[in-house]
Amino acid sequence: MGIFLKLLEALGLGGKKVNVLVVGLDNSGKTTLIERLKPKHAQSAEVAPTVGFSVDQVRKGGLLFTVFDMSGAGRYRNLWEMYYKGAQAVIFVIDSADRLRLCVAKDELDNLLASKQLPAKVPLLFYANKKDVPTALSPVEVAQALKLEDIRDKPWQIVPSNALTGEGLEKGTDWLADILSR
Amino acid sequence: MAATAQDPSAPLRGPEKKDEDRDEDTEYSPFYGIEKGAVLQEARIFNDAHIDPRKCQQVITKLLYLLCQGETFSQKEATEVFFSVTKLFQNKDANLRRMVYLVVKDVCPASDEVIMITSSLMKDMNSKTDLYRSNAIRVLCSITDAQLLGQIERYLKQAVVDKSPVVASAVLVSALHLLSHNSEIVKRWTNEIQEAVQSKQPMVQFHAVALLHALRANDRLAVSKLVTSLTKGPVRSPLAQCLLVRYVAQVISESQAASGNDSRPFYDWLESCLRHKAEMVIFEAARAICNMAEVSARELTPAVTVLQLFLSSSKPVLRFAAVRTLNKVAMTHPMAVTNCNIDMENLISDQNRSIATLAITTLLKTGNESSVERLLKQIGNFMSDIADEFKIVVVEAIRSLCLKFPQKYRALMNFLSNVLREDGGFEYKKAIVDSILILIREIPDAKEPGLGHLCEFIEDCEFTYLSTQILHLLGVEGPKTKDPAKYIRFIYNRIILENATVRAAAVSSLARFGALVQELHPRILILLRRALHDNDDEVRDRATLYLQQLEGQAGGLDAVDVKWNIPAKNLEQGLKKYMENGFQKPFDLASVPVAVAASPAKERKAPGRTLAAPAPTQAPKKQDDHAALLKTLPQLAGLGPVFKSSAPAQLTEEETEYNIVVVKHVFASHVVFQFNCTNTVAEQVLENVSVAMDLAEAEDFEEEAVLPLASMAYGSVGQTYVVLARPEGSMALGKFVNILKFKVKEIDPSTGETEEEGYEDEYQLEDVEVTPADYIKPVAVANFRSVWEELDPESEMADDYGLGLRDSLQDAVEAVIGILGMQACEGSDAVPPNARSHTALLAGVIVGDVQVLVRLSFGIDVSRQVAMKMVVRSDGRDVSEAIHQIIQDA
Repeated sequence: MGIFLKLLEALGLGGKKVNVLVVGLDNSGKTTLIERLKPKHAQSAEVAPTVGFSVDQVRKGGLLFTVFDMSGAGRYRNLWEMYYKGAQAVIFVIDSADRLRLCVAKDELDNLLASKQLPAKVPLLFYANKKDVPTALSPVEVAQALKLEDIRDKPWQIVPSNALTGEGLEKGTDWLADILSR
Repeated sequence: MAATAQDPSAPLRGPEKKDEDRDEDTEYSPFYGIEKGAVLQEARIFNDAHIDPRKCQQVITKLLYLLCQGETFSQKEATEVFFSVTKLFQNKDANLRRMVYLVVKDVCPASDEVIMITSSLMKDMNSKTDLYRSNAIRVLCSITDAQLLGQIERYLKQAVVDKSPVVASAVLVSALHLLSHNSEIVKRWTNEIQEAVQSKQPMVQFHAVALLHALRANDRLAVSKLVTSLTKGPVRSPLAQCLLVRYVAQVISESQAASGNDSRPFYDWLESCLRHKAEMVIFEAARAICNMAEVSARELTPAVTVLQLFLSSSKPVLRFAAVRTLNKVAMTHPMAVTNCNIDMENLISDQNRSIATLAITTLLKTGNESSVERLLKQIGNFMSDIADEFKIVVVEAIRSLCLKFPQKYRALMNFLSNVLREDGGFEYKKAIVDSILILIREIPDAKEPGLGHLCEFIEDCEFTYLSTQILHLLGVEGPKTKDPAKYIRFIYNRIILENATVRAAAVSSLARFGALVQELHPRILILLRRALHDNDDEVRDRATLYLQQLEGQAGGLDAVDVKWNIPAKNLEQGLKKYMENGFQKPFDLASVPVAVAASPAKERKAPGRTLAAPAPTQAPKKQDDHAALLKTLPQLAGLGPVFKSSAPAQLTEEETEYNIVVVKHVFASHVVFQFNCTNTVAEQVLENVSVAMDLAEAEDFEEEAVLPLASMAYGSVGQTYVVLARPEGSMALGKFVNILKFKVKEIDPSTGETEEEGYEDEYQLEDVEVTPADYIKPVAVANFRSVWEELDPESEMADDYGLGLRDSLQDAVEAVIGILGMQACEGSDAVPPNARSHTALLAGVIVGDVQVLVRLSFGIDVSRQVAMKMVVRSDGRDVSEAIHQIIQDA
């Protein structure tokens, strides 16, 4: 069975379906990041603020990710909760150059962790995005600001990224694929 | 409409589930036993990571079914369903996607939640699949708000001219819906819509024409222009053409009726549509021509010819449509339809009974005297096959035919009595009996045979209502016939054979014969005595009473046939009052007001009351109520009869402590103000309630009496009166400031007892005004012209007035009639739509019984300025002057 699945994977056909929720404050780069995860030919150059949410499918690391790209705008954040149920992984995107709103991001993260809807052992992947901006914080600083070390019941990882170029994205998805296919 | 582009063979439902306990032989509806709770449970599968499109479609179908059945979801349920459905958006299954769009539109959660799917929809809107695009546009337009619409407008605008007809239609239809809230945005797309009108796709063209019209619907001129250009233009789609025919018909109906020999605008175009390829266009055009106002026979001919061809079509729909239209035409232009009679006679045996009935009724309308008998024979053959509703239609047609050809009453009456004997429901029998009753009333010759038929009918009638009605009629009409004795047997049979209600009616009927026909008197006495042993109280009571009366006691013979001139309404009121006052003294019939009620009765009988009749009969009824109250007051007895009572006017705001309504009663030399007071405070009783009127602004009046209301308990309505004297016959005007004065006594809420001590209090009311209209009573005049000629031309006074800006002529006419308080004659208060000028004829009686006639000529110009010329004739020049003064003051 295992060999068969591997074979399918190699052919790029099979793969487990995984629901991934992408959240984060507005203008942190969620939609751009997802665009960059897609194959080159399917990427669109233009990205507008998401209203509500949008769904995409991305094949990465032998898994078929169904990505729910949530809008980060204030009025939609309380609606993220509606999608926690059934999510198998959460990607939290942080604008690491936006020091001012880091505390807002922390609040939203705390809300997310406190939610009962979110499955218990769901892996959390943090992208410290916009690392190309000179004033960007390092992933360690971001992790400290968000107090990530306090998260003990869920596996998590923080990865520096640049969604414009796609730098660092692979590293994060590989980690996710690794955790999820375990 | 989106379904046109979708694969109709695609399964909307999955295969039916197999239950063990299901009976293999019986077929169940796929929706059998669907229950909300269970479906909501099932809806959880939307959250699964691995989605089974088939299963999801089934669940969505069930959800939609529930919604369509009127099931409502609570806010929480809707939210849950909505969010789980949104997770299906990425699914590749086209059918599932289609269902998702449908359910998202219908579940309709709170507006801030529905906005969630905007981005997803916008993505779909730009996808490559037409199905997704069209559906996404429809959903997006139905959930969007003005702000968001601005963002997506660009895409919508492009989609209007999209190559795919499905997408273009979707936008056009959505735009029609958007028009109500966001017309500005849609208006910017005019160029694209114009382009869509040129489309070769029938559906797109259809929707584009509809939208283009909707955009201009408020502007008559623009619609007219649009229609003109479209009729010359390239509208090819039959659907769009039909729409256009309707718009043309609308334009024709709104345009001024063609004067003289001018042919109507667009008539030629409509006629050319009669030669169109598509049947629906031909029919639509024919119908439009038939429905034109004041259509001439020459204009009708081509349309009727076309409809005649349809009559022999093989398609039932066409036959039905044609015969229905002809049926309508036959009401106004029976001659035009006569040519089709032969074709229609073939339709009598049509398999479709609706067609057959319409054909019959049309033939009855158009038939001439000679063909009546032949037609009746044919109808008789098929009467038994059709449903009751159709039979009623036929019976009504026969009734009108009979009134048209009174000489043929014998054949028609025979026919009616034949069908009366057949089986049928109550409504049907009632229609027949009503018809016979009308014929008896209208055609004197038909009376005796008609009564004979009815007598036979009640021998075997299962409907109590009809039996009693007929028995009553026999009682009224029977004694006047040549041979009254022959009815006695029929009536007496009822006493032996029927139920109590019918027996009682039969006893009354018999008694009438006994009272009115001398020869029968002794025989009736014998028959009535037999009824004394009836086992029903009512029957025995009636028999006893009538026996006494016929023997000369208890009012004697005259009392049997009471000339009942007291309106039932007044009697009811009188009796109610009597019941409230306890039963100390016997009820006196004479105390029931008769005189007051006589006026509406008289008015009703007044000949020549035309269209305006229904409106005024309502008003006097209300006044009667108040007038009846006035009659009960001895203090007001000396004032003479009431000339006019005004409509009640509210003197307090709604929902205040005390609710006061005033009614003004005008007498020959007095004005009585009746204040109807209601106390809405539960903890108070008001005593000694009266209204103080300040006469400072009304010098001609003099206060004569105040009748206070002794006690005003919570919730009940009481009256207090103020009587003001004014010079006899004068039209004194004035404005009064009113103060309600009363003594408040608290009610102890624990015991419910009223406290002994009270205190005086006042309450400011709104002002009352006595206007000239209060002195003018609307009285209809049968023949305005002759009455106008009779009045002294010397008294005539004319003047011109400008009425300023008005919305429409109707508005102005109503305003002037309202100010004058007069009755519009000959239906002249209704202004034809779009008229530029109008003449209204008013009649009225001024206090002191002076007749006044007014002729008003109105004109309205483009800027909606209304001018009026008023000519007044009356019994005296001073009165005419007074009427002009009213308008000048107003």
